Amino acid sequence: MRKPTLAQQVLSQLTLLAVGLFVCLPIWGLIYMAFDGSFKGWPNEFRLWPKELTFSVIQQVWEKPAQSLSFIGLLRNSLLVSGGAAVLCVLCGLSMAYAFAQFRFPGRALGLWVLLLGAMLPPIALMTPLYLLLTALQLRTTQLGLVLVYASFAMPFCVWNMRAAFQAVPNELEEAALLEGAGHFTVFWRVTLPLAAPAIAVAALVAFLTGYTEFAFGWLFVSKGDQVTLAMAVSGMLTSLGLANAWSNVAALALLMSVPVVGLCLVLQRYLLKAYLVAD
Amino acid sequence: MALFTRLRAVERLDIDYDEDDYLRAGQQYATAIAVGRWEDFTQLNYRPEHPPLAKIVYGFALASLPPAPEIPARPTTAQPAPRLPQPHLTVARSVAAAFGTLQVALLSFLNPLAGLILAIHTREIKYTTEVMLEALPSLLSLIVIMAYQKAGNKWNAWLMLSAIALGLMAASKYLYGVVGLAIVIWHVRLEWRNRDWRAFWPLVAWGLLALIIFYLTDPYLWPDPVNRLRESVFYHTGYAQSTGVVSAGLPVWQPFVWLFGAAQERNAVFVVAFDFFIALFALRGLQRLRQRHPLYALWFALAFGFLLVWPTKWPQYILILTVPFTLAAAEGMRATFDSIYAQWSTYDWRKVSAQWNWKELKTALPWLAPGMVVLVALALYPLVYQGAMALTDFNSLAIRDGLNGGVWREVGLGLTGQVAGDTPAIDDLFSQRPTTVHYRGFGLLWSIFSWAIPEFLVFNILWMILAVSLQTGLGLGVALLLNRPGVRGKVFWRTLYVLPWAIPEFVGALIWFNIFEPSKGWLSLALGREIPWGDNPHLALGVLLVAATWLGWPLLMLAATAGLQQIPPEVYEAAELDGATAWEQFRAVTWPMLWPLLAPALIIRAIFTFNQFYLFYMLRPPWPLLTLTNLSFITFNTNERGGGLFALSATLNLFIVVVLAIVVSVSDRWGQTSEGVTYA
Repeated sequence: MRKPTLAQQVLSQLTLLAVGLFVCLPIWGLIYMAFDGSFKGWPNEFRLWPKELTFSVIQQVWEKPAQSLSFIGLLRNSLLVSGGAAVLCVLCGLSMAYAFAQFRFPGRALGLWVLLLGAMLPPIALMTPLYLLLTALQLRTTQLGLVLVYASFAMPFCVWNMRAAFQAVPNELEEAALLEGAGHFTVFWRVTLPLAAPAIAVAALVAFLTGYTEFAFGWLFVSKGDQVTLAMAVSGMLTSLGLANAWSNVAALALLMSVPVVGLCLVLQRYLLKAYLVAD
Repeated sequence: MALFTRLRAVERLDIDYDEDDYLRAGQQYATAIAVGRWEDFTQLNYRPEHPPLAKIVYGFALASLPPAPEIPARPTTAQPAPRLPQPHLTVARSVAAAFGTLQVALLSFLNPLAGLILAIHTREIKYTTEVMLEALPSLLSLIVIMAYQKAGNKWNAWLMLSAIALGLMAASKYLYGVVGLAIVIWHVRLEWRNRDWRAFWPLVAWGLLALIIFYLTDPYLWPDPVNRLRESVFYHTGYAQSTGVVSAGLPVWQPFVWLFGAAQERNAVFVVAFDFFIALFALRGLQRLRQRHPLYALWFALAFGFLLVWPTKWPQYILILTVPFTLAAAEGMRATFDSIYAQWSTYDWRKVSAQWNWKELKTALPWLAPGMVVLVALALYPLVYQGAMALTDFNSLAIRDGLNGGVWREVGLGLTGQVAGDTPAIDDLFSQRPTTVHYRGFGLLWSIFSWAIPEFLVFNILWMILAVSLQTGLGLGVALLLNRPGVRGKVFWRTLYVLPWAIPEFVGALIWFNIFEPSKGWLSLALGREIPWGDNPHLALGVLLVAATWLGWPLLMLAATAGLQQIPPEVYEAAELDGATAWEQFRAVTWPMLWPLLAPALIIRAIFTFNQFYLFYMLRPPWPLLTLTNLSFITFNTNERGGGLFALSATLNLFIVVVLAIVVSVSDRWGQTSEGVTYA
């Protein structure tokens, strides 16, 4: 293909700029508010730039975003719940994923199909019975309950991805170890797991993000103010006060919770993309 | 069969909108006939928007009956009349039912299966039984097309019959003229190719004869044809903007809802209501309809396009296409059975059982155990419990009973026949909330299905198709642009464009809520006025689509970019040497090579969009613009007053699981989402 002419280059850049505006303007609409201290509830006039440029809003949500917790407290809850879910998924799913990758047992096809279906289900799909099950076990309003719920969301997806990670390890290595007389466990522990570790970390990260960004179901479970997660706090600010809300606080808190996630996603783009596409 | 379903409906159907109007029109003609004032025929014109033939037919049927006081004239927007004189109503309905039955019989000559489907299609039964204007013209439209095909493009008795039926049909209801249009297009296209100009004469004669018959059977036109015809036809222009139609607020896609959902009636009017499955089969059969009955396929396409465009969206209008629709359903049914039979007869059971390696299972079992325990506890058991809940009326007030095993108790009793489940109406489910769990039987599943599925599932799938198309369009377009050699700043733009993908979905939804909030959002502040987009379903869909496109397109751009980079540039150089244009290159080179790599991303996006939750949760579009997941959440949400309907939510969840199971199986068969899932 030939080099583009100047006119073509300008046209391409203008198109790309238009798409860029479509992508960025909405984000900017939220960001600028996080740095504007000029209004209490919702803004009353259209602005593209903060009226009073200030960090006080950010500082305020850092110190006291919700009634009883600081930002750090909220973050700790988030990490605890979503991290717990991710760890649970990996620990319980690891050996299962290995079995699916390594053995050709009867029922494997069906099992894989169920896993794939499970990965595609929306969180609501099993919510009703889980809610009752955990209520019956008196776990519903505890953080452990929320860990279990978020783990159930992410588990099939996690197992599916870990299986893909194990399958990517070259078979020759494993077979060579088996021929040397090593047992399946030794092969798994010494050969497969170390080689698949980075991909498993990505699977765990996906499981973590599921819980980290979830709030609607969280509110059905958590009832005490000191157990609220970050995402729940953002949505709680929105629903409890409605339009009377300090909108710049909502914007600031949403911004604070998204920044690390966005950074992580951009850095690990290639690996996450592979995981999200349920690719082998 | 058709006679049975229709006679049952004659007796049981509640009086519907418009029935009083047309019965009154029939009465007027009956009076004129009884006293022999035939000249009144040229003046009578109650409900002027529709031509009089069908009303005259009712008149003849009523003429022999003892006269009843004339039904008062009421505006078209009035509620259905509480009661109408008997036996006039029954007689008029029976006349309509006779036409409906004849139509089924006629279709059975063409395709018996289609006849059977037409016989049990609930909307077809309803509107060919009520005192409406549908029964006669829809019978005639079938005669028009069958006679035309029989004639074989020659001027003979069949073509004359077709023309006469067309004229009569036009004198009954204009809407059905769409079949005539289909024939004209068909004929012209066929003969144009043959370059045989004389072959047009039969068509012209056919049209002229139809016109004459139309004029002869529309006595109201006799004194002043041109003006009165214009008056009648242009009534619709005003009617479409009248408050009655506008306040109904039915969106463009409403015909889908009418086709996918059975008519809801009390008194068990319909023995079976399979409309949803008929529609599914029809969807599958469209391809075969095009191959085997191309003229009917053209009829269907024209009529459906017309229904989408036509601003007034009353459910009876779908009768202009029920014939090709049921024909498509019959073809779809045949295709389905054929493929199931073909698979079953070639399936080698011995080969499969020989592959079962029990020793391997023994090795694998300890590895599987921990994950199995968790998955059974957190997924399988809930799924089974959910199935049990769906058979009960479990709600948040009965939670104490439910937690003490009430669901299992009731379902156990119910399935062993010790408790009879009486199916409640959907409205009762919302209003009556018993404090103990009761078995409600499988009927409940069905009634929730026929309540929720047409409206919400149709929107949900429409939503999925539109949103994913937009995302793919933008993603692929940008990926292609960025893939051209010499475009500057590729890395910069690509990194920028990935942002919406990296932002959590609920923050993305928040971002768009901030823009589209009707009174204080960024957009309404910029425009300086409120934007009540929630009042208009089309606007609401637009708002949702903009946000969904923003959220979803980066993934498709990334997938397309990854795919494009694997196409070697030499292929394009070769194509360029051959003189292929840019579009030809895309069609012949890029797309076929890109598709296998793009398909998984597309399927994932489609399923994700089908399940879309946070966007709807944040933007709060008007009912029924909701995905099934949102509907399920709303009916479940124990923190809201309308929620806590555990059983209803559980049933909706089951439907979601079933739909996704089908989607996963189908995409699996494409063999692109996953390797090894189909048994290796």
